[in-house]
Amino acid sequence: MLEQVQLEVFRNLFHSIAEEMGVALCRTAFSPNIKERRDYSCAIFDADGHTVAQGDHMPVHLGSMPMSVAAAIEAIDMAAGDVVIVNDPFQGGTHLPDITLVQPVFVEGHHRAAFYVANRAHHSDVGGISPGSMPLATSIYQEGIRIPPMHLVRSGVVVEEAMKLILANVRTPVEREGDLTAQIASNRTGERRLLELVDRYSLPTVAEAMGQLQDYAERLTREAIRGMANGRFVFEDAMDDDGFGNGPLPIRVAIEVEDENVTVDFAGTAPQTAGSINAVSAITVSAVFYCFRVIVDWPIPTNHGTLRPLSVKIPAGSLLDARPPAAVAAGNVETSQRIVDTVLGAMAQALPGVIPAASSGTMNNLTIGGVDPRDGRQYAYYETTAGGMGARPGASGLDATHTHMTNSLNTPVEALEHSYPFRVRRYGVRRGSGGLGRHRGGDGIRRDIEILGDARVTVLADRRESSPYGLAGGQHGAPGRTVLVDDGHDRDLPGKCSLDVKRGAVVSLRTPGGGGFGAAGEDSS
Amino acid sequence: MKSTGLIGIDTGGTFTDVVYQLVDGSIRVFKVPSTPSDPSQAVLSGLESSGIEEPELVHGSTVATNALLERAGARCALVTTAGFEDLLLIGRQTRGDIYDLDVEKPDPLVPSSACFGLNERIGPQGEVIVALESSECTEIATRIAREGYDSVAICLLHSYANPSHELAMAAALRSAGVSYVSASCEVLPEFREFERCSTTTVNAYVGPVMDRYLENLERAVGSGVRIMQSNGGALSLKVARERAVETVLSGPAGGVVGAHALASAAGFDDIVTFDMGGTSTDVSLCSGVPSRTGESSLEGIPIRVTMLDIHTVGAGGGSVAWADPAGGLRVGPRSAGANPGPACYGQGGRSATVTDANLYLGRLSPDHFLGGTRDLDCGAARTAIEAIAQEVGGGPSEVAAGIVTIANSRMEGAIRVISVERGHDPRDFTLVCFGGAGGLHAAELAASLHMPRVLVPPDPGTLSAYGMLLADIVRDYSRTHIAFMHELNTADTDSLFEELEGQARVEVDSRALRLERTADLRYHGQGFELSVPWHEDSVDTFHRMHSDRYGYADRSRDVEVVTLRVRATVPAGVEVPLPGVIAEDVVAATPASITSTRFGDEDLPTPVYERTTLQPGARLAGPAVVAEYSSTTVIPPDWDGRVDEFCNLVLERNDA
Repeated sequence: MLEQVQLEVFRNLFHSIAEEMGVALCRTAFSPNIKERRDYSCAIFDADGHTVAQGDHMPVHLGSMPMSVAAAIEAIDMAAGDVVIVNDPFQGGTHLPDITLVQPVFVEGHHRAAFYVANRAHHSDVGGISPGSMPLATSIYQEGIRIPPMHLVRSGVVVEEAMKLILANVRTPVEREGDLTAQIASNRTGERRLLELVDRYSLPTVAEAMGQLQDYAERLTREAIRGMANGRFVFEDAMDDDGFGNGPLPIRVAIEVEDENVTVDFAGTAPQTAGSINAVSAITVSAVFYCFRVIVDWPIPTNHGTLRPLSVKIPAGSLLDARPPAAVAAGNVETSQRIVDTVLGAMAQALPGVIPAASSGTMNNLTIGGVDPRDGRQYAYYETTAGGMGARPGASGLDATHTHMTNSLNTPVEALEHSYPFRVRRYGVRRGSGGLGRHRGGDGIRRDIEILGDARVTVLADRRESSPYGLAGGQHGAPGRTVLVDDGHDRDLPGKCSLDVKRGAVVSLRTPGGGGFGAAGEDSS
Repeated sequence: MKSTGLIGIDTGGTFTDVVYQLVDGSIRVFKVPSTPSDPSQAVLSGLESSGIEEPELVHGSTVATNALLERAGARCALVTTAGFEDLLLIGRQTRGDIYDLDVEKPDPLVPSSACFGLNERIGPQGEVIVALESSECTEIATRIAREGYDSVAICLLHSYANPSHELAMAAALRSAGVSYVSASCEVLPEFREFERCSTTTVNAYVGPVMDRYLENLERAVGSGVRIMQSNGGALSLKVARERAVETVLSGPAGGVVGAHALASAAGFDDIVTFDMGGTSTDVSLCSGVPSRTGESSLEGIPIRVTMLDIHTVGAGGGSVAWADPAGGLRVGPRSAGANPGPACYGQGGRSATVTDANLYLGRLSPDHFLGGTRDLDCGAARTAIEAIAQEVGGGPSEVAAGIVTIANSRMEGAIRVISVERGHDPRDFTLVCFGGAGGLHAAELAASLHMPRVLVPPDPGTLSAYGMLLADIVRDYSRTHIAFMHELNTADTDSLFEELEGQARVEVDSRALRLERTADLRYHGQGFELSVPWHEDSVDTFHRMHSDRYGYADRSRDVEVVTLRVRATVPAGVEVPLPGVIAEDVVAATPASITSTRFGDEDLPTPVYERTTLQPGARLAGPAVVAEYSSTTVIPPDWDGRVDEFCNLVLERNDA
């Protein structure tokens, strides 16, 4: 087969395996985050642990999954039928609720694993000081159980001690066990499909195609980078605060473009902080990866090759390369979005006419936990809420849409009210929140939830002080608000807070709008 | 000979196909030109040409589909629970492509200015939390009527659990003079408000257009008309006027029903249908019966009615080959369409398509295309193939073969989705191929999936109209009812099932009515369900299906029911054609010509047969090409072909 043909055939084959792993996981999982919101990713890796293909799942997992695989390879001598589990952000993970399962794929007659498959899913509770495991914390020890790479399955049999240890440390063990079973089955699907490919095409052909596809993604990414102006482009944005009175916390980037190579340097970024908005380097790399993936116009395989033209420098111990025992729960969901805002802000100078204004820039994480008065059972609800998309050079931003590092589905109101003691009072577009401009930024969302029992509410949100920026003369989007209606009084909550509320309290999330593009009144032609 | 009166008419883009049956069971087919500005003209002229006096018409209509695709539906309003007027605008908060900065969402069918909020609230158990004020209903209804909307969709929270508020609002609208009202509790009484609202709105949006069309048709033909729907069954004209949404995805349904009937008659119950056209390819799986799904959408708009589980990929004969800047060869999704069409059509197309590659490789016979009525420009195909070969840097033959291989890999992926991913092994299935371009690819596709056999029905171009003739009358009813199976109050479920069945008896008035109960089950806490027959062992069946589909079952987990379903069926009562007779000594088939065709790395001399000359019993050895009016079938070197007693062309691997 011609290489040019083989590339396309195998791109389709590998991608469909990753997608099928995702279907298997999502349809059998128990955490609402996985089954309703699709907060998971599945990917396949070559013998060196480099990503070959990833399903169209969560962008924030893009650059970080291979670090889990690398950590598993480094720490554990994996044999056929083994599955390694890991969630430790400092050993290949991102934040504790994201649990990754890595499985080697052995081809008969070979001693070394020919490939790896892995999937990562956001579990709805992994212990720690608050239900839902997205707490307002100051160290990783408060955030939940930390699992270094270790065997969850050995020779096809679940390691009971490991499973029991994990389940003993979480609030909803039955659900956890179900999710892990779904994750194991998903990896098995990937293994089975890869072995079928080896049967059909032979190991050398499949392995060669994996290498070719990475080279190919690299060539396409370099081609896109050539479309950028050469030079040094700097940008600065900031996180409002860390929930413990520290802020604003600047994120600085300098991007140097030289023909088809790029250096992305975060020198000057704030040091790591007390609250949980610290990001480990895996997240920072994922965010940069995403920014360069979106400027490639052609459908390309999402793999290791995209990273090769990029050199990413992150100051050790900074907000973007936090070291233990930093709290990191919100780095994955909040800081990741600001890294994208910052990097795209710099890229806009090198690629005018392509990069949009800032999107909402926060996932508006809301966790509510307590006892369900209907049946006396413990519950933990966690969900993110979309905001407005930044306006594009040629079009308005979309209203009420998840952007950049996330694309999860919302939990339907009717499903929510079945599962939790909540009544949704209002769910609509937050009109007028998008920035004005030649093209308008998308509007955010307003969602009011009445809680029908006493509960603990935790909010992790940003862009409460600062606004999503406009570009080319477009106006900023409106910052977000969280309003608590308690005993008939309205009060604004801080962006990051955790508090007990009484039955009947209403939490009203009002998410930021996107920035506008171009000065209003300019001719849009 | 006299006809039975039964006639199937399928509206297509270019032709309207007419199929009817004579009293001896044999089938007659013909085509009339379609009349897109008023599709009923072609239907009436088809009826007239058939000479049938009191026709019993089964009709496949694209009126609702086109109204949605072209955004030419009714001016429609939406009534929701107050505070939830933006349901359609928000959707599920997601975007369609995570790496596309220019991604767009489909505009809602109802603009924000036409969304009205009603102060009322029902809880998840159907309990009334905020009672409805009838004065407010009247006020909103009057306003909507005054503003002159053609139709109204109503979707209130938890209406599947308690429809009283929706029904009251609907009554108010009707008495205010709004003629077309769709309440979500009637269209789709299932939970998940966005999908229910979207489906109901589609019904209200396309409904008035379809209603007018069918009213005219009824006036001309009488009420003995049935309409093909997305689930593969037919609908009475009266119901179709109220539930146009059931027909929106009906386009490919006739072909699947027809293919399934023909293959069953020929002895193959388990089939994968493969319908490859110019722009896209539809595949579906029948394991005894056609598979169905409730999770469909059109152009990004969810439509949650039951439909045949048909998977579509953007790869067809007209898919254009192109080179990306890194030297990769790509095929599609852009299609040359009918105009300019592939380069070989000689209509000014310059880009190499899959059809051009087939022609270049000698697999498509230029002398027999559309019965020889259309000249194929081999020179133009050659020029186009050579140009793309130079761009990607390969020999023209290799690149042409590569284009076919890539198209095959896309279609193989589609078949894997509906078979392997759903727990079926393709080795147990026969590939049934129809549509213009399928026969060129079917055997290679079957080989790569280890499918043992390909069946090409006679006259594959009219299979869809034929399927309509065979379609049973089918109505699907559903109701969300969430409960644990181990503590199920069967009195509750029985009375809900009986309610659904009562509805069925009213709507489908026939002595031959068959009712079938199923339920959607899941492990408590999961978000997706599997549909299983409702009986004492439903839970067992669920565990088994879960294991087949997803690789494991967990019998220690609680199973819950989510949605109850009743399917009402009245069999069409039409027999498939009688088998023909295979002569004692079959005359060996004579090729019309010998051509040179590329298989793998070799050019092989290949006989070309005209399908019309092949009698039942004829046997062919690969390599061979069978040409007929609307399609061409390639038999590769390691395959044999035969013509069975139904005139199907059956290809089987000869190494088995």
